[in-house]
Amino acid sequence: MQIVNYDSKLCDLLVNDPTLIAVFNRFGIALGVGDKTIARVCDEKGIDKDFLTTILNTFINEEYVPSDVHNRFSADKIVSYLQQTNAYYEHYLIPNIERHFNFLMAKSNNSNTSLSIIYKFFLEVKEELMARINDDKEQLFPKLLMHSGSTRLEANAKNDSAAKAIQEDSIESKISDLLNMLVMHLSGTYDSNLAHAVLIALFGLKKDINQNNRIRERMLNPIVVAIDAVTD
Amino acid sequence: MTYRVAIIMRNTLEALGIKHILEDAFSISPQVFSALGQVPDVGSDLFDFYFTSPELFVKHLDFFLPRRQKVITVTSSPRDDEANVLCANDDESTIIDSINAWFANIERNAVDHQDELSQREIDVLRLIASGMINKEIAESLGISINTVLTHRKNITNKLGIRSVSGLTFYAMMNGIIAPK
Repeated sequence: MQIVNYDSKLCDLLVNDPTLIAVFNRFGIALGVGDKTIARVCDEKGIDKDFLTTILNTFINEEYVPSDVHNRFSADKIVSYLQQTNAYYEHYLIPNIERHFNFLMAKSNNSNTSLSIIYKFFLEVKEELMARINDDKEQLFPKLLMHSGSTRLEANAKNDSAAKAIQEDSIESKISDLLNMLVMHLSGTYDSNLAHAVLIALFGLKKDINQNNRIRERMLNPIVVAIDAVTD
Repeated sequence: MTYRVAIIMRNTLEALGIKHILEDAFSISPQVFSALGQVPDVGSDLFDFYFTSPELFVKHLDFFLPRRQKVITVTSSPRDDEANVLCANDDESTIIDSINAWFANIERNAVDHQDELSQREIDVLRLIASGMINKEIAESLGISINTVLTHRKNITNKLGIRSVSGLTFYAMMNGIIAPK
């Protein structure tokens, strides 16, 4: 298990798991990190190093549950991170999968029935994911930002154990199903390389959503619970 | 029938724990080994079943892989998509239930070993894809809800598809229902 601390070097983390660049990007950190530590980069860029290390540890380690989240981090920090995450799905990951799918469909002259049906399933999953992103944008995030920094919030939010577990999210199981349909049930003729590209892109989306669900569950939900306690 | 069981594990406490459970709850007297090399006549399959750790399983892949249906690995952090895994952190009765289910499953698989959907599973899949809930499927086919749940579990295991939408698209793909 890898534990990130203030002295961890960004280059070590990235070489070990290159998908972390997506997380660093959400903090305005790009490739070309030299051998700087977390502490140094955070000082240079004005990033809260406690927040960045907590996000990274939650992202990397399935078992890690950060404590006292609602007192350590303001809602606007977590909301800002999740807004960047959603933007990454909306403007990069999903269009990327769709582009690959479109190439794949075009190359098979839209004549592969199993592929056409899997594509329709993808469009349904995409629609659902976009609906969740819009719901975050229009409902959840504005509500959290409205209460960000409230002192009453800290006073009332004592009960970590009451934190709501994230609801059974069908988007994750549908993305797994999509992957399995490609892996197990794709038939007929198609361009292998393009099919592989779709598969890898879908896997990237699945992995990132699973990791960010931990952040939503363990860092966002305690704040939602705290705000509900104040506003109820 | 009494099974001949070998426990091949480096972790003495875990090995003795499993030995105790097998003796106590299943009246099986397993033999305990701390390494595969200690098993006598290792290639001649003197044992019906093996308990081992994921580390030893991987280390001796050439031995365990062809016998994987007869091997149960013991770990404290199982992934939920793994079969034949016993979670060391579970309580005693859960562990006994898991071993029981595993023995039963192996006996069943010996008779019915196929990956394709049975006619009944296709019937259930058709009704799932038409939007019915479990209760309606049970009534429509004249079976209990538990039986419907078992069919659903088997369908998911065979197809790797869990969600209703996924199953619906699979049904379309295979002509089980008409495309939308």
